[in-house]
Amino acid sequence: MTLSLFVSLFVDGLSMGMIYALLGMGLILLVRAVGILNFAQGDLLMIGAYICGCLFLDLKLPLWIMFPIAIVWFALIGIIFMFTVYWPLRKASYSQATIIATMGASIVLQEAVKLIWGSSPRAMPAIVQNANGSPKILNVGQVTLPIQYLIILGVGMVIIYLVLKLFEKLYVGKLMQAACQDAYAANLLGIPSILTICATYAIVMIVCGTCGYLVAPQFMIRSTLGTLQLRAFAGVVIGGFGSITGAVIGCLIVGVVESFSTLFLSGYKDVTVFLLLIIFLVLKPTGLFKGKIGDKA
Amino acid sequence: MAENETRKPILKLENINKRFGGVVTAKDIKFDLFPGEIKGLIGPNGAGKTTLMNIISGIYTADSGTIIFDGMDITNVPDYRRARMGIGRTFQSPRFLQRSSIRDNLLIGADLGNRIGFLEGFFGKKSTNFEQELKDMMDLLHFGFNWDDEISSLPFGQRKLLEIVRSLLSHPKVILVDEPAAGLNPKEINYLMDILRMAARKMNIGVLLIEHSMDMIMDICDSIYVISFGVPIGEGTPEQIANNHAVIEAYLGKEDE
Amino acid sequence: MAEKKLELKNKRFTGPFTLIISVVVFYLVVKIMCRSLYSQMVVNMALVFCLVAYSVSVMLGMCGELSFAGVAFMGIGAFTIANLTTGRFGFKISPLGAFLVVIPVATFIAFIIGLILLRLKGTFFSFSTIALVQVAYTFFNNYRPLFGGVDGISGIPSVRILGKQLTNHYLWFPYLLVFVVFVGLVVEHIRNTQLGRSMASCRDNETAARVLGVNVYMTKVIAFTISGVLSAMGGALYSMLIRYASADMFTYDTSAKYLIMAMFGGVQSTIGAFIGALIVQILPQVLKVFQRYFQLIWGVSIILLMVFMPEGLTGIFRMALKRRKSRKKGRISVIQEKGEE
Repeated sequence: MTLSLFVSLFVDGLSMGMIYALLGMGLILLVRAVGILNFAQGDLLMIGAYICGCLFLDLKLPLWIMFPIAIVWFALIGIIFMFTVYWPLRKASYSQATIIATMGASIVLQEAVKLIWGSSPRAMPAIVQNANGSPKILNVGQVTLPIQYLIILGVGMVIIYLVLKLFEKLYVGKLMQAACQDAYAANLLGIPSILTICATYAIVMIVCGTCGYLVAPQFMIRSTLGTLQLRAFAGVVIGGFGSITGAVIGCLIVGVVESFSTLFLSGYKDVTVFLLLIIFLVLKPTGLFKGKIGDKA
Repeated sequence: MAENETRKPILKLENINKRFGGVVTAKDIKFDLFPGEIKGLIGPNGAGKTTLMNIISGIYTADSGTIIFDGMDITNVPDYRRARMGIGRTFQSPRFLQRSSIRDNLLIGADLGNRIGFLEGFFGKKSTNFEQELKDMMDLLHFGFNWDDEISSLPFGQRKLLEIVRSLLSHPKVILVDEPAAGLNPKEINYLMDILRMAARKMNIGVLLIEHSMDMIMDICDSIYVISFGVPIGEGTPEQIANNHAVIEAYLGKEDE
Repeated sequence: MAEKKLELKNKRFTGPFTLIISVVVFYLVVKIMCRSLYSQMVVNMALVFCLVAYSVSVMLGMCGELSFAGVAFMGIGAFTIANLTTGRFGFKISPLGAFLVVIPVATFIAFIIGLILLRLKGTFFSFSTIALVQVAYTFFNNYRPLFGGVDGISGIPSVRILGKQLTNHYLWFPYLLVFVVFVGLVVEHIRNTQLGRSMASCRDNETAARVLGVNVYMTKVIAFTISGVLSAMGGALYSMLIRYASADMFTYDTSAKYLIMAMFGGVQSTIGAFIGALIVQILPQVLKVFQRYFQLIWGVSIILLMVFMPEGLTGIFRMALKRRKSRKKGRISVIQEKGEE
């Protein structure tokens, strides 16, 4: 393997890993805030891609107008999502009921986009492109790096930084953590837990939607984009469930492993990722970073 | 005391230590529990009583020290196996299978008493006389109910008593009872004392009892062990404890002189 | 009075008489309703999937762990049948013989996988079963020597029972019905014995389970094994029915269907899994008019189901029964009070 191939595979893997990381981070935020696993996480990403596609391709809005509008939409959808599949179920006798409801939501979202936009995939131009519309590629020596990948990496890092700051440093973050650790106590202190949960869902949807916009040029806008969430799941488990940093690192590992495995066994790309996951589970069931979600005896 | 020397203790704690971070919850705890003895474990709130029970039943592991049960060192034995060896346990707030009927909840205690495997259980093998035992205990507790009802339909006090019944159905050699009287009405407390006495006298079970109600402790216990902030501060018969200065201090605070 | 209350037999279990009557009634109803071979096939499929729904009921209803692994084990069952009956290993055995091989094979594989995956709890475990399904699917889809790759394996011979060749779905139906009811009885029996109670204790209160001598880990592994075998039997029968096995019958997406079957009927009861499987399988045929919107309706109904009846049809039935009982009780106590006056 030449160095240039190595570098380009590595960057490719990192950028995909970054997408998984953003999805995984959203998963963890939701688990922390409301204690449920969202099986529609990938479909939120898919919705994000479709909304951006609609704004960008159909309404032909320029990027700087499109993005604020998209974010408002994302926040709205996040809140609607919360009120349909979480809020009515928050007191369900089965914790699994909420999980299965998100699986239902996943089907609904996929079918809804098919009914609205048709089932054929739509092409989305890269953010930075050449004059002829092909994605711009950066050449450093022999290494070819698509600019889109670098943008994904950059934007991803910024988002992760902002979310970490929000949740660990800022006052709002403390509020949210308080609300998710003990909704009852938070209510007593005058922290409205419904607002914080709304905000969490909105933020998660914004993160996922942005991911959708970022991956759309590579995978096209299609209703099956949701399957990306499976890799995010794997990354989250490898990272150690419950810790954001762990999830991010785990997802990056998944991305890189996946990228390199295409070199050797293309048909078994999924297997390498999931075997990696299973090996991790056997050797280190708590993941790389031990989660904060514990069970008191 | 002379009688105790001839009997072997069923449960023996030797220098048990446990700390959570910087907080010492057990320091050099040692005592013997004999079959048929009711031992009170008392101390102010946060003294580490429940932690000690968790260490004995294996939910926590001790940092150092040994636990000897029935002549065997069980310090490193996992909790479920300790239960099978005969350490029964009840909790401050009763722990039941919320989604199962009362019958299933009690049968699970009897399952443990049966001491048979899943396969034999599948083909209907039984070794204990569940119905008779349960009937005896129900007579003692003076209540009956529909066994098909869900456990959550029972009032708190009855659930607490039932948890003791469940534990006794498993034929333990030692039973750890955590604050059984809290939340019970005076009538139920009397029944509770009856059943604990029966466990100790008739079934020859060693009972370790955490309780805040001093009346009950003084009434029922053969001996008392007092801890405060994880440190043992007194041991003896109820009369000795009642006159023990260190104990009175721990409970009422130091007198200013 | 107290003695009368001390009944050990569980009342939820209906007597053998009621059971036989209802099976016969069900048989006759299907015989009368199913005028076409196609509708008979739909019912037969429902019966086969019922086995998978049982497996969900064991894992989720009894043990409280959400597992997606069902489809992976279905695949193992189906491909075992396909390989053994079509002579890909150089020898051929009859489908029924192969079916008997499926059980130990699935037991072994499920036990080993259970030992690995159940080191995790709750959501963690659910994740890992998704990974398992994904790995299994990739192998089914790519590894030609064992699974026939994308083409799958066709040519499974028809089953011969009691000297009769089961060449069409009408002939299959009575045997399937008896088998599924029999397996249901076994599952129900597990629920009411020590193993079932141990599983319930793992589900409801692990600490209580431990102090009652339940080895939580091992109990879950056993539950996983049982549910794996149930799924594998379902998969095996599936492939015997359609005489074909291929990877796309066992994708992650289909696993949601089996979950919903069990949840719809009520994950806490065996009969619920049976009813749920029938309804979920037959409903799409009834709603054929809405084909275009069917998936959408399906998704929405899953959400509504979870919101309004998380314990399924049998849960609703049980609630209604309880309410009626308490109303009766209220009446009796009123009468007694009057008597005292």
